Amino acid sequence: MLFTAFWILGYHMTEQEQLEVGRVPSKDSAEALVQERNYLQEAFRFFRDFSRNRGALFGLVFLLVLTISAIFANYIFPGNPNTSFLVPRPLPPTLQYPFGTDDVGRNLLELVVYGARTSLTIAFVAGSILALLGTVVGLVAGYYGGLIDGGLMRTADIFLTLPTLPLILLMAALLGPSLLNIMLIIGITNWPFMARLVRSNVLSMTQREFIQIEKVMGASTRRIVFRHLFPNQFSLILVYTSLSLPLVILTEAAIEFLGLAPISISWGFLLNVSTHYWIAGAWWMSFFPGVAIFMTSLAFYLVSEGLKEVLTPTLKRKRDSLVVQLAERK
Amino acid sequence: MGLGKYLLKRSIIALLLIFFVATLNFVIVHLTPGGPATIFLLNPHISAAGRKIVLEQFGLDKPLYVQYEIYIAGMFTGNWGTSYFYNEPAFQVVAQRIPATLLLMVPSLILTILVGGLFGIIGARKPFSFVDRFLSSFAFFFYAMPAFWLGFVLLTFFVLFLHVLPAGGMTSISGGGSVTDIFSHLFLPVVSLTLVNLANFSLLMRSSLMEVMDQNYITTAKGKGLSERLIFFRHAMRNALLPTVTMTGLFVGFLLTGAILTESVFSWPGLGLLTFDSIESRDYPIILSLFFIFSIMIIVANLITDVVYGLLDPRISYD
Repeated sequence: MLFTAFWILGYHMTEQEQLEVGRVPSKDSAEALVQERNYLQEAFRFFRDFSRNRGALFGLVFLLVLTISAIFANYIFPGNPNTSFLVPRPLPPTLQYPFGTDDVGRNLLELVVYGARTSLTIAFVAGSILALLGTVVGLVAGYYGGLIDGGLMRTADIFLTLPTLPLILLMAALLGPSLLNIMLIIGITNWPFMARLVRSNVLSMTQREFIQIEKVMGASTRRIVFRHLFPNQFSLILVYTSLSLPLVILTEAAIEFLGLAPISISWGFLLNVSTHYWIAGAWWMSFFPGVAIFMTSLAFYLVSEGLKEVLTPTLKRKRDSLVVQLAERK
Repeated sequence: MGLGKYLLKRSIIALLLIFFVATLNFVIVHLTPGGPATIFLLNPHISAAGRKIVLEQFGLDKPLYVQYEIYIAGMFTGNWGTSYFYNEPAFQVVAQRIPATLLLMVPSLILTILVGGLFGIIGARKPFSFVDRFLSSFAFFFYAMPAFWLGFVLLTFFVLFLHVLPAGGMTSISGGGSVTDIFSHLFLPVVSLTLVNLANFSLLMRSSLMEVMDQNYITTAKGKGLSERLIFFRHAMRNALLPTVTMTGLFVGFLLTGAILTESVFSWPGLGLLTFDSIESRDYPIILSLFFIFSIMIIVANLITDVVYGLLDPRISYD
C-alpha cells in the first residue's frame, strides 16, 4: 500500500516540478521528467524519512507482525482454535499459555491472534469504504459546487449530527449481525469527515493557477479530476484514512463488546465474555484482548502520524487528532 | 441578520433535524421484515381474530400516511410505544434513566474541559518542550484506548487488587444512597470517561492556541512590549477558545458514545446500560427511543453551542 502511495504521489517531486508538469503540456518535457524517476531511490527516501519518526516505525513494525501472524495463524497454531486444552475454567497465564486460558479452557494467546484476523479485515474493508465514499463525495461536491455541493454537504452534516454509536447499534440490531453489515455500517457512518476534508482541499485547489490554465486550455473534467485533483488529494486521503482506522478498530470492538457481532473469535467479544468472569479474579481474560485492541489502534495512530509528517509536510508542526483537523476546516 | 433571527433560524433547523430523526425511526421500523408487530404476528399460537386485534392495536390496518402521522405525533408527545421487556411505556422507561446519565456526563464534561484546557494551555506555552510532549502523549495514550477496557483495567486495579472502591452500580445497599456513597460509585466511571475523551479537547486547545500565537496582532502586542503572560492570557486565550467552543457539540457526541460503553462496564443505571440491556433482550421500542433521545441530546448540545458561539464572536455574520 505504501509503495503504491509514494509513486502515485510523485513523492520525489518538489511542488515547483509538479506545477511544471501541469503547466507545460508538451509531451516531451513531461515524459522526460517522468522518466527520470528512480523508484528504488524514491522508496528508499520515503522509508528513510518515515523511519525518522521512531513511533511511526514502531507502529508499522507492530502492524506488520500482527498482519503476518493473523494471516498465518493456522500455521502458528495448528488445529482448531476452539479446542479446549485444559479444564473448562479460566486459568492464569503460565509459560505454556502466556495469556492464560478462557472460561472454556481455550488458549487465550491463540484466540487473540485469530481475533486479529477479524479486526484487521474489518478495519481495512470499512476503512476502504469510508475512504472511497468520502473521496467521491468530496471530489464531486468540491468540483461542481453549487446545489450539488450544498446537498451533499447538508447530508454530511446530518450524518455528523446523528449519534454514531447508537445509530450503528440500531442498524446492527435491525439488519442482523453479519460481518458485511458491520463493515458497511462503520464505513457509512464515518465518511462525512473525509468528505469535508477532501472537499475543502479540492475547493482551494480549483482556485490554483495550473487548474485554471488546464480549464482554459479546454481539458476534460476527467483529465482535471484524474490527472490533478485526485493525485494531489492522494496523500491527504491516505493520511486521513490511516487516522480514522483507530476509530474503526475501537468502534468495531465496541460493537462486538455489546454482543452485536456474529463472530465468536474477536477481541471485542472476548471482552464481552470476560464481563462475567472478572469479578471472580480472571483479570487476564479482559486484559490481553484489551491490550490487543489498544496496541492496534495506537499503532495505526503512530503510523498515520508518521505518514502525515512525510506526506503532508505543511501540517508537520501539529500533532492533531481528526477532530482538530475538522475543527480547523469548519 | 441580527442575533435574534440567527437564534430563530438555528432553532428551526434543530427542530427539523429532530423531525428527520423521528422520520428515520419510522422508516426503520417499517423496513424491518414484518413491521413493528412482528413478534406478535409471527407467533404460531395467535388466531386470525387475535391477529386482527394486534393489527388494530398497532394501527397497522390504517394507510401508511395515517400511520406516519400518528407515529410522528406520538414521538413529539411522548408516546414512544411499549417496551417488550418491561411492559411499560418506552418513554417512561427511558426518562427514568436520564438523570443517572447526566450525573455521569456533566461532571465528566466539566472535568474534560478543565483538565484538557489546562493541558492545552501548558502545552501551547512551550510547544515541543518535554512537558508538552509528555502531556500530548499522555492524552493520546488514553485516546487510543477502548473506553470499556479502560473501565475494566481500573476496576481490576481498584476493586480486585486494592479493594477500595465499589465494583459497580450507583448505590450500595448499606450506604443507602448518601452523597458520599454515590460519589464513591461515580468516581471510576467519571475518571475513565474523562481520560478517554481528554485528547479531543487538549489537542484542539493546544493547536488553536498555537495558531493564534502566530497571528500578526500577537506580534504587534509583543512589539508594544507587553508581558508574555498578559499576551497569552488576555489576547490569545479569548480567540483560541472559539474553535474549541464550536467543537463542544461534537464532544457531547463522543462523550455519549463513551458513556454507553462506560455505563455497561460499571453497571451504572443510566441510558447506556439500558442500551446494553435492551440490545441483549432485543427490545426494539426501547432501542428506537434511545436512538431518538440520544439524537435530541446531541442536537440540543449543538444548538447551545451555536448560541454560545453567536454570543461570543462578534465577527460571526449570522447566516
